[in-house]
Amino acid sequence: MKNKSAGFFLTALSLLAAAVGLGAYLVNCGTDYFMNLGISPVVAGCAGAAIAAQLVYLIAAQKGQKNWMDLLPVAASVLLIVATVMLLSVRVNGIASIMTFEMNAQTLSDLTSALIGLIACLAAAVVSIISSFFDVVKE
Amino acid sequence: MKDTSKKSGRAAQRRWRGLTAVTASLLALALTGQVIVGGFRTDIDKFLGTQSTMVVTDEDADTGDAYTYQSDYSSTTELLDAIEDLGERMNEEGSVLLKNNGALPLTEEETQKVSLLGFSSYYPVRGGDMGSSFVANTGTDADTVDLVQALTAKGFAFNPTLQEMYEALQPLFKSEVESWGGVIEYNNIVAPAIGGVFTSKEPSQAAMDGENASWRDTLAEYNVMVVTIARSGGENRDYTPGTAGVDPTQDLNQTDPLGLSDDERDLIQAAIDAKEANGGKVIVLLNNSSAMEIQELADNEGVDAILQIGLPGGYGFYGVADILSGAVNPSGHLTDTYAVVNANSPAAQNYGNNQWTNPNPEYSINSAVVEAEGIYTGYKYYETRYADTVLGQGNASDAVGSADGVAWSYANEVTYSFGYGLSYTTFSQTLDSLSVDLAAQTVTATVTVTNTGDVAGKDAVQLYVSLPYTDYDREHLVEKSAIQLLDYAKTNELQPGESQTITITADAQNMASWDSTSDNAVGTQGCYILDEGDYYFSIGNGAHEALNNILTAQGKTTADGMTADGDAAQVQTWTLDAFDNSTFAYSRAGVAVENQLEDMDLNYWLPDTVTYLSRQDWAGTWPETYKDLTATDEMLEIMDNDIYVISADNGDPASVTFGADNGLTLADLKGVTDINDERWSLLLDQITLEECMIRTGFGGTSTKSIESIMSPETIQNDGPNGIYSYTLGQYANTNASTGDPCAVDADDPNLNYKFGTMCNETVIAQTFSKELAGEYGRVCGNYSLWSNLTIYWGCGTNLHRLPYNARNHEYYSEDAVLTAGQGNAFVQGGMAYGCIVAPKHLAFNDSEVNRTGVATFMTEQQARENELRGTQAIVENGALGLMTAYNRVGITPSNAHTGLMVDILREEWGYQGLVTEDFIQDANYVCLKEAVMNGVTMSCNTGDNTIEAVNEKYSYWSYDAVSQDAQLMAALKQAMLWQNYALANSNALDGMTSGSHLVSVRTWYDNLLTGMQIGFGVLTLACAAMYVKSAKKD
Repeated sequence: MKNKSAGFFLTALSLLAAAVGLGAYLVNCGTDYFMNLGISPVVAGCAGAAIAAQLVYLIAAQKGQKNWMDLLPVAASVLLIVATVMLLSVRVNGIASIMTFEMNAQTLSDLTSALIGLIACLAAAVVSIISSFFDVVKE
Repeated sequence: MKDTSKKSGRAAQRRWRGLTAVTASLLALALTGQVIVGGFRTDIDKFLGTQSTMVVTDEDADTGDAYTYQSDYSSTTELLDAIEDLGERMNEEGSVLLKNNGALPLTEEETQKVSLLGFSSYYPVRGGDMGSSFVANTGTDADTVDLVQALTAKGFAFNPTLQEMYEALQPLFKSEVESWGGVIEYNNIVAPAIGGVFTSKEPSQAAMDGENASWRDTLAEYNVMVVTIARSGGENRDYTPGTAGVDPTQDLNQTDPLGLSDDERDLIQAAIDAKEANGGKVIVLLNNSSAMEIQELADNEGVDAILQIGLPGGYGFYGVADILSGAVNPSGHLTDTYAVVNANSPAAQNYGNNQWTNPNPEYSINSAVVEAEGIYTGYKYYETRYADTVLGQGNASDAVGSADGVAWSYANEVTYSFGYGLSYTTFSQTLDSLSVDLAAQTVTATVTVTNTGDVAGKDAVQLYVSLPYTDYDREHLVEKSAIQLLDYAKTNELQPGESQTITITADAQNMASWDSTSDNAVGTQGCYILDEGDYYFSIGNGAHEALNNILTAQGKTTADGMTADGDAAQVQTWTLDAFDNSTFAYSRAGVAVENQLEDMDLNYWLPDTVTYLSRQDWAGTWPETYKDLTATDEMLEIMDNDIYVISADNGDPASVTFGADNGLTLADLKGVTDINDERWSLLLDQITLEECMIRTGFGGTSTKSIESIMSPETIQNDGPNGIYSYTLGQYANTNASTGDPCAVDADDPNLNYKFGTMCNETVIAQTFSKELAGEYGRVCGNYSLWSNLTIYWGCGTNLHRLPYNARNHEYYSEDAVLTAGQGNAFVQGGMAYGCIVAPKHLAFNDSEVNRTGVATFMTEQQARENELRGTQAIVENGALGLMTAYNRVGITPSNAHTGLMVDILREEWGYQGLVTEDFIQDANYVCLKEAVMNGVTMSCNTGDNTIEAVNEKYSYWSYDAVSQDAQLMAALKQAMLWQNYALANSNALDGMTSGSHLVSVRTWYDNLLTGMQIGFGVLTLACAAMYVKSAKKD
């Protein structure tokens, strides 16, 4: 662990948040209220690709930071931003409806995973952007 | 040095990599933001007050008749003054004096020593918690007021000690409503959430003593004690009957959320004790929209007066103040029965969350409500059962359903009857004449009203009918209410000794009964019938008094169990010699009637399951609670909401024309009321299939523009307590050069006004004044012109099946005729100014519990004579907008039920206007293809203006599929015809002429996004280049 730089921990944190976000989104897609909207390929695809990019980055960089790897945190950040915005896009109507016309214990419960997913994805994107200023391993 | 240089180079790489990530992420944000803007442009524009499309009229076009509708007012000040004035008069005429031992009105001296008790005196309920919510306005020409402000304005003076004490006690009566991310606090009482319980917030005597031990002493000086007791209302809110609906952590001897708690009782008793010690008066104000259980207040001799004030909105308290002071004379009458125990009614036996044993959230299959009470809701139950106790028939005196567990007795069941209300004066009413003209389908009555008291006042004339209940009815299971409202009218203000003769011409169909077994004109079954026999007509201060008149005319007395002897002189009879199933065999639109709602009877699906309440045997048919029902496979096949199959076998696609170039615009058909005019067909031929598919699928919160026919975006607004979705100024025209007579100055102080300020609908109905309902429509129409807000979902016509529906504040009454009368006057008033005032919700939205999906079962007789009768007249008189319901009609979503939406609404009633779904977001439950096939013109979803976007929402809604189905394409065109026909006959086209066209406008946020895309694109490239440069250097 001694050779790990701030980038490692930040990227790992971002990866964790992205995984939570993606997981929460997938759970949300199975809730009573949102199940009929299906799974957005853009949201799931971008979040999944971002996680994969960060995993590859974390693992590959252990053998030394190469220039090609620098593309990975940039791509992850972009993908997470897209995932977050598109997740908001596919859930905003439901959020508005629940918060106004359909609020009850069940719908609020269903809404929770959507909001966790949104917050986690946004946090993952922000941390990913910050992490891109740091290397994974010390020089 | 080399190592240092290498580190420095790597640091530069990191820096440029990081900056590239930042700029690329922001670029991604800008690009995806564009996608979101595309999908939500209408709502973003509404939120930001921007415009993405606008109507441009050619300079050389003749704009002389561009503005069809003219306002009665010359400024927003006049408009708001009219609203304020009407709001005051609504509560003057719509507050109901239930009890008065002479305490009211107050003397001038008494108005100077008022003690306001109860936290609701200071924080009253003025509108719904959600939906038809009250909006406070300040800094306008019509600022809203509460009770304290209104009394102050009217010159009252009140106990300052109490006011200070209640302000200090505020934390005790804050209501906390759980919401995601925390709680929302209200100072006024709120209605429970679905499945929640009511928590009494009235401060205890101990709490009041703890705050100020001497508060009681102040009641000696301020000895006119006004105690306000409140229960709120709200969309998506619900009261659970009985103790199950009361907060179990409280021990306040409260047996029902609509009954009193000990803290409320103690407060009233404290006022009574003070009166006994110091003299004075105790007056209770009921600030509610659902009927409360107040028998104990009626019985309590210490309570001098009870005034029901509803939810008064922003100006109604002025009217309440005027009643208290005697400046006006109350003339309101109850729109609902005030029962001793609400939960004992037959309707209450089936209410709430009765889940299917095989629910499926994927298809919104959740619960069922079997309305086994049949037609016997509200007074139709209480009064009919009472009549049968007097007539000694149908086991009416059985203990079932009684409040005290012994023989059922009206006096023990009803506190105040439907239609009841007191005045400061006395009136005599005489039913001078009555005639029935079946050819004209009318019942005409003349009633002379005389003010026999000593102060001026208005009176309501209520014409009731009692129908013969025959052996045929018993055999064919046709139920008859012993009394039912046929029509009503309000007098002018009559001076003492003055008389007025009122002529009422009632629709005779309102006394026809639906017989599902009757033969009809088309050789099937189901028709309105009139039985042979004697029809009794009477008048009275409420249904009970009218019924007593009739029972007296039939020879009954108190010895037979009547609560009081009636006046037989106020009864007229009419005899029909032979059974009649022909007079009402055809609707006004000329369509033969027949059964259309047989599938609403659960027995249709599950034979012999339900026993509907019948006056043949009240005990034997008393409703059981139908729960744990299991939907059969046959039912589930329909309940998956996939009813219509899009197919190439549904006719020749080439037979449906789209995209023709006929050179017409919607403005060419402005004001063309003949929907069969050939130009409508030519205009609709111009529309494209894609436009039809997008506009029906993404109706959203406005109708959006259709470029091929130059149909403008038309904004929708919620109600019914005013057009309150947007401020007056959000869409107001600030460009006077357009010639718009309702153009406003940009610095008009009233542009931030929000019209959520009218009293709730129950108060409007309690006026029993079609004139006031019509005036409200006209005020809304004028407001529509000034605000450019055309479509108004403002006429709640669902009935009060039970007081427990907390959304009753948005609906008029438990009675269909009163609902239709007020609703029709309201809608017509709005239409005179081009405002589309729309009834909602078609139909049977009787509860907010599981409203998305609840299966509602009942007999067709109940459906037609109760809820549908409350909407029918409004539609038949030309309403142009309508909203469907969340719930299922039987097992079919309301928007997909052909019997209701096509056969009754479009055919029997001849409806030609637009129809929206309620705010259903679940694509499966929207049932888009089924809804379109059944005449729905738009869903309430929103999205990008592309066929791909709408197809993503509804997977079956692809151009390739729909373009093969001639039947569906024809339905789409028909839907667009109805939608645009409504707009063309509204003020939506004001300002448009044949030379008008729609142009897209780039908003500031479009420019911002484009700027961001360019800017961050360049920066991303620059950062990436710098990264590459630093990497090479390294």
